[in-house]
Amino acid sequence: MTPAGPKTSPGSETLARTELELSASWRVVVLNDPVNLMSYVMMVFKKTFGFNESTARKHMLQVHEQGRSVVWTGLREKAEAYVFTLQQWHLTAVLESDETH
Amino acid sequence: MKRIEVKLSLPVVAPLLDVIRELADGMGRKLAAPQEFGDLDPEFRDAWHGDLLAGQKADVGQLLALFDDEFFTEGVVAFDEDNAEPIVRACAAVRLRLREVFLRGLGDDTLEGGDVELGDLSEPVRKAFMCYLFLATVQELIIQHLDSSIIDS
Repeated sequence: MTPAGPKTSPGSETLARTELELSASWRVVVLNDPVNLMSYVMMVFKKTFGFNESTARKHMLQVHEQGRSVVWTGLREKAEAYVFTLQQWHLTAVLESDETH
Repeated sequence: MKRIEVKLSLPVVAPLLDVIRELADGMGRKLAAPQEFGDLDPEFRDAWHGDLLAGQKADVGQLLALFDDEFFTEGVVAFDEDNAEPIVRACAAVRLRLREVFLRGLGDDTLEGGDVELGDLSEPVRKAFMCYLFLATVQELIIQHLDSSIIDS
């Protein structure tokens, strides 16, 4: 089950920040691990993002050879849902603001 | 429904189940893969973490349920469209925990390459490594035969 969306506390500063977070672009990044099989990682990418074989392979190889791959970019709420799904599959996945790189 | 049955060697596989059971006890409390939750609200982060833990525990339960009476009498386990997804996920979780608990000393390059001299390993590490390989084989079998069921589900 995907957790509920981000919670906010009252206060204009917090609300402004939250609005900015929600409207800004966020990256879903998968990091390498020495355990998960290449075929498994490809299958997870195909299932989670609907990638075809060659796109799944490209991202899997990026993770394997470069240590990380940006697999999706977009709004925060959907990025969080993707990170959660990838973590359910035991991939190491993080959420990054598009401004951090 | 697509289904595959696999005949396993009882004397080889049965001892490996003890390793899985030993790890399974802690898998309702600790995530197999370390995760960063960044700047999430603490309450939201706790719910997120709790959901991941609950899913992991349920998956490992499904993996252990595979080794039922039929397995201990016939040596046969069956994978189908219903259990393929949780089992392939549970295999990943247990393999990650095996690395964390037993296989750190082997080094990640060795673990990735699989080039290990079993005779050089202590008994607990040898058993854990055999279990690590066995679970990878289960994953490969499922992915080879049932990946379309998982992807389309």
